Amino acid sequence: MNQMSIHRDGSVEPPTPTPTPTPVLELDRASVVFPSGPPWRRRRVPAMREVTLQVSAGETLGVVGESGSGKTTTAMVALGLRRPTTGVVRFEGASMPRRRRALAGRMQVVLQHPQWSLDPRMRVGRSVAEPLVVAERLARRAANTTSGAINGSSSGSITDAVAVMLEKVGLDASVAKRHPHELSGGQRQRVAIARALITRPRFVVFDEAVSALDVSVQAQILNLVVDVQAEYGFGALFISHDLGAVRYVAHRIAVMRHGCVVETADTETFYRTPEHEYSRQLLEAL
Amino acid sequence: MKRLDWLSRCGLICLMVLVAAAVAGWFGLAGDPAAIDGDRLRPPGAAAWLGTDDLGRSLLPRLLEGIGATLLLSSLAVLVTAVVSTALGIVAGYVGGAVNEAVLRLVEVLYAFPSIVLAILVAAVVGPGRPAAMAAIVLVTIPLMTRLVRAAAATVASRDYITSAVVSGVGMPTMLVRHVLPNVGGTIAVQGTYALSIGILVEGGLSFLGLGVQPPQASLGVLIAQGGIYMVAAPWLVIAPGVVLVLAILSINVLGDGLRDRLEPREARSLT
Repeated sequence: MNQMSIHRDGSVEPPTPTPTPTPVLELDRASVVFPSGPPWRRRRVPAMREVTLQVSAGETLGVVGESGSGKTTTAMVALGLRRPTTGVVRFEGASMPRRRRALAGRMQVVLQHPQWSLDPRMRVGRSVAEPLVVAERLARRAANTTSGAINGSSSGSITDAVAVMLEKVGLDASVAKRHPHELSGGQRQRVAIARALITRPRFVVFDEAVSALDVSVQAQILNLVVDVQAEYGFGALFISHDLGAVRYVAHRIAVMRHGCVVETADTETFYRTPEHEYSRQLLEAL
Repeated sequence: MKRLDWLSRCGLICLMVLVAAAVAGWFGLAGDPAAIDGDRLRPPGAAAWLGTDDLGRSLLPRLLEGIGATLLLSSLAVLVTAVVSTALGIVAGYVGGAVNEAVLRLVEVLYAFPSIVLAILVAAVVGPGRPAAMAAIVLVTIPLMTRLVRAAAATVASRDYITSAVVSGVGMPTMLVRHVLPNVGGTIAVQGTYALSIGILVEGGLSFLGLGVQPPQASLGVLIAQGGIYMVAAPWLVIAPGVVLVLAILSINVLGDGLRDRLEPREARSLT
């Protein structure tokens, strides 16, 4: 297991990411404006203002800020779930495709609520397998249209992949047969991580992924995130209002306020010498 | 998951008895509903357990035929309602935006009419008979069921597992069938039972007014309408179908309450 080293003074040294020439994900002056109010008195509410961020392979960018600062909108834009009003989003150097399904399996998300992170009517195994099944179906369809070849995984190999992934996140393979309500919050979040990683994505968003868990389970999940990132090398956007959690997993930190990124810095630099006044206020409140 | 409470179980048993009675009626186990047995307006007794009507026909086989006609007509209509409302509701709830607004405005137009007025309007357009009764039940029950399915689907659409599935590339048809539909199944089942009781009531009302099932065929509404003429001289003609109508609606409603407690537990609804 690839744990991060924790110094005696409490400071954390994150693992060094492997540098790559092209960022996995790049937001270039991306802005999002929501229309609000009736048509005759339409107001424009900015949720993101010219946000520029880059995430490299193997790197975790922590995004912190108060509620309403635009963190989740940033995540939605990064995942291609919302188009920016202005600005550009690039995934592996190319602009976001018009059809989001073209990215199926290449980016994933782990969200906040353990009780709603998995479909309550589906067995865990089926939930974990779903992204792989969808990605393979889409790949098969694409291959069909280009070469006419049909080549996919059998249900047996998908079951094996699910078992391997569940064991990878510290769960017994037999969990696949259970329903989500039979698992604890921490176990469900582990399953959500297994589901996110089964397609070996290049980019993963963790949106408040540990906020709803108790402290001891938070630590286990954070360790798991660090371990699986070291193994799979995906780029990650780790969104949280918990500065302690972000410090533990992130290599760099971006601070958001009123839809703007007010400061971006290496984790150690940020915690030692925050530049922006708002960053200092956040750290004082820690 | 909780078991049904005793009241709901009573409702279920009562409904099963009514269905068994309807099946017995279809197989003619209580006799031919059209056969004239003897004296007109004979009170209940050994020869005719529920008495005879104004033409000397035994009321019991006619009542069984009426239960069957009413339950079958209402059930078929509610099945159509469930299919249409589910399709409209889950698409509106999941897609949202203009589709949601269009569906909501459409059902609000139907909502604006009092149900019996809407039913009479349909019967006037289609013409009296079973198709009119069925169409009326469908139009009367669609608005409420569509709104409730839409609300449940909108709640499901905001869940984290839906966002995860979208990010994973799950397409909309698969999403609706695999994730949204199973999670609004409880709402559909519960509202289906309430719609069934409304359907029975609408069928009874329309047939009572002569716009639904037409004599000599029997339904609970037809029997009540025909018995009402002799309410003083032969009260059993109106009491028997009236009691059955009340029992049917009451048992379906308490069963619906039990299903709601079982399929839509409070802890699941409070986190929306």
